[in-house]
Amino acid sequence: MVRLSRRSLLATGSAALALPLVPRFAFAEETPVRGGTLAIAQLSANRRSADATNSRHPYYIVDANTRAQWNCLTWVDENLQVQLEVATKIEPADSTLAVWDVTIREGVSFHNGKEMDSADVAASFDYHRQNAPFARQITRIEPVSKYVARFFLDAGNSEFPYILAEYNSVIMPAAPVETIGMDGIGSGPFRIVESDPNRSLIMERFESYWDQGTPYLDRLEVYNREGQQEAALNGLRSGQFDAVLNIDARAAVQLSSDPDFDIETKQGGYSFVIQLPKHPGSPFEDKRVRQAFAYAIDREAIVRVAYGGKYGWVGNDSHLMAVDPNFVPRPGGRDVAKAKALLAEAGHPNGIDLGTLYWSPQLPEAGIYFQVLQQSVKEAGITLTLEERPNDGYIQFRSGEADLSKGKYHKLAMTAVGNRNPGISLFRMRHAYVESGHWQGEAHDRYMALYQKAMVEPEAGKRKAIYADMQQILFEEVPAILPAGGDTFLVKRKSVRAMTYHPQIWSVRYERIWKQATA
Amino acid sequence: MLFGAILRRLLLSGLTMLLLSCFVFLATEVLPGDALDMTLTADELSAMPPEALEQKRRELGLDRPAVERLGIFLGDMARLDFGTTVITGAPVADIVWYPFRNSLALAGATLAIALPLALVLGIAAAVWRGRAADGAVSTAAIVGYSIPEFVIGTVLVMLFSVAWPIFPATVTANTRAPLSELLAAAPLAVATVVIGSVAYLTRILRAGMIETLASDAMERLRLAGIPKARIVLVHALPAAILPALTAAALYAAALVSGIVVVELLFAYPGIGQEMVRAVTMRETPVIQAIAILAAAVVVAANLAADLSMLALDPRRRG
Repeated sequence: MVRLSRRSLLATGSAALALPLVPRFAFAEETPVRGGTLAIAQLSANRRSADATNSRHPYYIVDANTRAQWNCLTWVDENLQVQLEVATKIEPADSTLAVWDVTIREGVSFHNGKEMDSADVAASFDYHRQNAPFARQITRIEPVSKYVARFFLDAGNSEFPYILAEYNSVIMPAAPVETIGMDGIGSGPFRIVESDPNRSLIMERFESYWDQGTPYLDRLEVYNREGQQEAALNGLRSGQFDAVLNIDARAAVQLSSDPDFDIETKQGGYSFVIQLPKHPGSPFEDKRVRQAFAYAIDREAIVRVAYGGKYGWVGNDSHLMAVDPNFVPRPGGRDVAKAKALLAEAGHPNGIDLGTLYWSPQLPEAGIYFQVLQQSVKEAGITLTLEERPNDGYIQFRSGEADLSKGKYHKLAMTAVGNRNPGISLFRMRHAYVESGHWQGEAHDRYMALYQKAMVEPEAGKRKAIYADMQQILFEEVPAILPAGGDTFLVKRKSVRAMTYHPQIWSVRYERIWKQATA
Repeated sequence: MLFGAILRRLLLSGLTMLLLSCFVFLATEVLPGDALDMTLTADELSAMPPEALEQKRRELGLDRPAVERLGIFLGDMARLDFGTTVITGAPVADIVWYPFRNSLALAGATLAIALPLALVLGIAAAVWRGRAADGAVSTAAIVGYSIPEFVIGTVLVMLFSVAWPIFPATVTANTRAPLSELLAAAPLAVATVVIGSVAYLTRILRAGMIETLASDAMERLRLAGIPKARIVLVHALPAAILPALTAAALYAAALVSGIVVVELLFAYPGIGQEMVRAVTMRETPVIQAIAILAAAVVVAANLAADLSMLALDPRRRG
């Protein structure tokens, strides 16, 4: 067994784990001004509905961005690299990568004055492992010393620090599982002063925030305007809001020419996956048909039409976003001739009807996106019928039964996917999960073997090579199609400074933001 | 006779509510998906094995058969118990009470402004029927009634929030804020509903006044030399307002649940917005509670109008 050197782990590719939190950003020649209120409208609110008893709980606050009120042990930056937050060191306790020791920063205060320690970390994650899907792999957490907590996982995970950065993975003051987090107490730059369930959250500066000198703002107000983009933008235009988060691509294009506002965007917010069913009788059982489909799609046209050219990116049929450092561009690009040749080889020299592609309006551009896709594949002789389904019950509709022997098959259907680390994203192509079309066979087994290898590989550089090999398998096998994706957008007043967006919309750092005094 | 008439109406209202309860339950049953589907994102679902999802579904009671749930639902309704939410187990009454209060307040404020205005305009249009004033009022009423409320609201926002920033574009007041504070934060929402309400009520009142003024009784009063103003205000108005009473009561009741578009446009924390959220999140107990409350308001308003008519017009007691 190879004995891992912690020094080598920290030095190679995981060096980021030894760095402090990225220093607060300051624009050149501008000094942040202390004071003021920032009022923002959020168009992508928390999916969990709150009530009067839990509206201050991190799982139920208005906005999924928990970084204003709480800290996590780590944070994923705008380049999708994991950084330390209230942790000062994270290292595997052994070579299995199934046991991790986390050292937290000394002197971090909660809003109630209590100092954060390992007992708080243990209690918080005892809650998270039972309630947050991404923390399920944690089997137990033990305080080792006052500032060190040990995590035990059900399997090795080289990317475990990413799990610690999830928006649910906040550190709360220790309390029983039934009540922890209900009081809204965190260690973040802002403390909650008023909450209106599902509607708004009012916060004020936490004067004892550990990152001294921040936050700059006195007050932060977050308003839920989910599904009400025009109302939110009217509020922006009227001066009621300083920023509107998560506007769609079309609004971003329109507002980009407005001299009163700035558009902040980050590449790689989300994309769409098309699951290709491989049940008996499906045309997608034949790999050549899947490959032909992949070659026939004009992905550039999707980006041009659905995202205005500059606000989208071409996908590579994996769940990785183009901004991810591990992303490998799909070789060859669009090749209609090759698509036709593959179809002919598969016994469809005159083209093929792939049936109905179901889509739901999960995002505003979905309709246009799939219309462009449908039109572009016609050139290769591929016929595709589009059918819109309501969002309601769509998951059950497209998923069918995981056990194919039951006969209730999954559909040729799309869904939106978000931006996560490769350990989470690439796992979605496993046989058991519907998005892979229940892909199986020798190539799938090789893919999953590589995945298991990556999960116990401590060096990021070596993991990157494994991920590249996995993506090569996906290019060859095409278990699913992810043609293109869009960026994330916010619009803000020019007086709001240092407010940048993030591929993971829940990771905006509000302590950096300040407002220029207006005349 | 009066007692019998009242009793009949009460029994009919009770039967209506029972049928409504069953209908509401059935309507929510046909909605695809459930609260767990809506709570978890596709990203989160990708990390959960199917058995974990099923376990969660069992814990939340989402696997119980419909008949069992209908029985529980009717039993709860009989005790005026709206139950608890699916995901968090919070009392539904706590969820819906303040939004319900706020919608009542918006409807009440609207009527407090719209009714007197409509009275004045309706009377004026009827008295000066066929003349410029009538033309202006009637045209304005038709236009105001025809234009959808979201259009009216959007125009008001563009004018008085964006072009001339006098009023806020959306309501940011807390759901549990005092009513005075809430309504003060929603002037454009109130104005939007008032415009539509004035248009509707003016037309009804105008029609009632015209019919009454044309009656033989009013002709006799004119022939007797009673001043016109006295005829209109003392004799014709009470008679004309009776037929409008039922329409106004039903309109007022419908306002409570019918202003959902206005609530969404202005983010007003009323029952309409809460209903949209509950439907989106598949919080079936909340959907049912709001539907029952809204129906109860309509039934109560209808009953109140009927009872008022019975009290004011003895001819209807037979």
